Amino acid sequence: MKKYKIMIRDGIFTIFTLLVLFAINLVIEIVFDTRTLIPMIFVLGVFLVSLRTQGYFWGITASLLSVLAVNYAFTFPFYAFDLISPECIFSAVVMMIVAVMTGALTTKLKTQEKIKAESEMERMRANLLRAVSHDLRTPLTSIYGSTSAVIEHYDTLSKEQNLKLLGDVQKDSQWLIHMVENLLSVTRIDSSKVSLKKTPVVLEELIDSVLVKFHKRYPEQGIVIEIPDDFISIPLDPILIEQVLLNILENAIFHAKGMTELILRVELLDKKVLFSVLDNGCGISPDIQEKLFSGYINHSDAPTDGSRSNMGIGLSVCSTIIKAHGGSIHAENRKEGGARFYFTLQLEEAHE
Amino acid sequence: MSSKYKILVIEDESNIRNFIGAVMNANEYQTLEATTCEQGILMFASHTPDLIILDLGLPDKDGVEFIRTIRQTHTTPIIVLSARTSEEDKIESLDLGANDYITKPFGTGELLARVRASLRNNRPGAGAGSLPGEKFTLYDLTIDYDRRMVFMSGEEIKLTQTEYNILALLSYHTGKVMTYAAIIKEIWGSADDGSIKKLQVNMANIRKKLGSKPGDNQYVINELGVGYRMNEENL
Repeated sequence: MKKYKIMIRDGIFTIFTLLVLFAINLVIEIVFDTRTLIPMIFVLGVFLVSLRTQGYFWGITASLLSVLAVNYAFTFPFYAFDLISPECIFSAVVMMIVAVMTGALTTKLKTQEKIKAESEMERMRANLLRAVSHDLRTPLTSIYGSTSAVIEHYDTLSKEQNLKLLGDVQKDSQWLIHMVENLLSVTRIDSSKVSLKKTPVVLEELIDSVLVKFHKRYPEQGIVIEIPDDFISIPLDPILIEQVLLNILENAIFHAKGMTELILRVELLDKKVLFSVLDNGCGISPDIQEKLFSGYINHSDAPTDGSRSNMGIGLSVCSTIIKAHGGSIHAENRKEGGARFYFTLQLEEAHE
Repeated sequence: MSSKYKILVIEDESNIRNFIGAVMNANEYQTLEATTCEQGILMFASHTPDLIILDLGLPDKDGVEFIRTIRQTHTTPIIVLSARTSEEDKIESLDLGANDYITKPFGTGELLARVRASLRNNRPGAGAGSLPGEKFTLYDLTIDYDRRMVFMSGEEIKLTQTEYNILALLSYHTGKVMTYAAIIKEIWGSADDGSIKKLQVNMANIRKKLGSKPGDNQYVINELGVGYRMNEENL
C-alpha cells in the first residue's frame, strides 16, 4: 500500500519534471535559436529524477523518455521518430548510465545515513551504560554497609540508629528503582527497526498519572498545571512519556536552585502537542547547556553537596524517548529567569 | 475477625516471599508459601486459602496458566505481581480473572491496601451488583443505586445513562482495576474500534462532572493503558 503510493508520487514527479524541461527546451529553441543545450537539459532532468525517486525504475524511464523526446522534437526529422540512427542509440545509453549511477549513489547515501543514525543510538546507549554503572556503586555501597552494620551490631546500636540506617537503605533503593526504570525505558526502545507501540492516551489521564507518581515521590513540591480543557487523545507509549515528564520535573527539583514555582504546561498547536516544564530557579549554566541531553555530563559538573541526582542520565533518556516518538526535546533559559524544557508530539499517527 | 485469613504466596524469589510473609504475619494474616506453579496448585487444593498473591514469572509455568486453572473452579481472589514493562501481562491476567495487580517494585503499604480491598470485594454478594437500599459512599461522593442517582456533598450530579452505568460498575468493584475491555463488555456488550475512545470520552465527562482535576483525582483512578479503578478510602 505504502510502496504503491510512493511509486505513484515518484511517477508524477518524473512526468512533471520532464514536461517542464520539455517546455523550457521549446522556449530555448525559440529564444536562442539553438539546439546544443537541449540534450544537456534532459540529462539534468534524468539526474533530478534519479535523485528524488526511489529505486532505478523512474530514472531509467526518464532517460528513455528523454531520448524519445529529443529524437522526436529536437532532431531531424522534426516531429517524427528516427530510432535507428546511431546518434539516438548512443544518447540513450549515456542517459541510462547517468540514471543508473545517480540511483546507485543516492541509495548508498541513504544507507549511510541510516548507519549513522544507528551508531548514534548505539553511542548513546554506551554512554548511558557507562554513566549508570558508575553511579550504581554509591547507593549499593551504602545499602551493603548499612545493612551489615544493622545485622552485626543490632543489639549495640540504639533503636534510632538502627532505624536511621534502615531508612538510608530504603532511600537508596528507591533511588536505584528510579534508575532501573530509566534503563528499562531505554531497552523498551529496542533496535531501531521496531517502531514504538503507541496507544491513544487521553492527555488528562496522562498528566494525572504523572502527578500522582510525582506527589508520591515529592509530596512537598507543588506544580501549577496548565492544560487545555478539550478532550485530547495522543498516540504515544504511556510508560515512556510518563517517564519523560517525571524526569524533567525531577530534574527541576534537583537542579533549579531557588525555585519557587514549577509549571507543567501543555498547548495544542496545529496537529502537534507542545509539552513544557517551566521553573523559576537558577537556570541552565552555559557550560552544560549543550551536553544536557547527551548523557555526557561528567562528575565535575555535578552538585558538590554530595546529593545524587541521576546526573544527566534522566535527560538523555528523555531525549532518546522523544526521538523514538519522532519529536525533539529542547532546553533554554527563560527571559524572566529559570529554565524551560519543552518537546512536541504528533497529534495523529503520521501516514508514511 | 474470628479466624485469620489465609494467604497463599506463590513466588520463586525467597527474599520477596520472606518480606511479604513478614508483612502479612505482622498484620494478622496467616501465610502459606509455594515456589512453583505446580506446588501452588497443590497447596491451593489442600489448604483452600482466602487469597492468592501470584508472581507471573514462575520457573515451571507461566503464572497465567495458574490463573486459568484456578478460575475453572474457584473465585478466590488473586493478586498478580507483575514486572513494570508488560501491560499485556497485566491485561491478560486481569481478563482471565485475576482481581488485581501490583507492579514490582512495590511498597508494603500498597500491597496491604490491595490485599484488604480484594478480601473485602470477595465477600458474598460484593461485585455482583447492589442490594436494595444500598448506597455507595467515598469521600463526598454518594451513589444511590435504587434511584440511579449520584450526589456530591449532597448535591445531585446529572450524569447520562452511560456515565452512570460506568460509575456504578466501577463502584461495585471498588479497589479493583477494571480493564477497558471488561468495562466495554459490561456497558455496551460488544466492542469495536471506537469503543475505547468512547469509554475515554465518557470518563472525561464523568471526571469533569465530579470536579476531578489532574493530580487530584479522588474517585476514579487512571491505570494508564490498562483501565480504571474506583478509589477506596485510606484505611
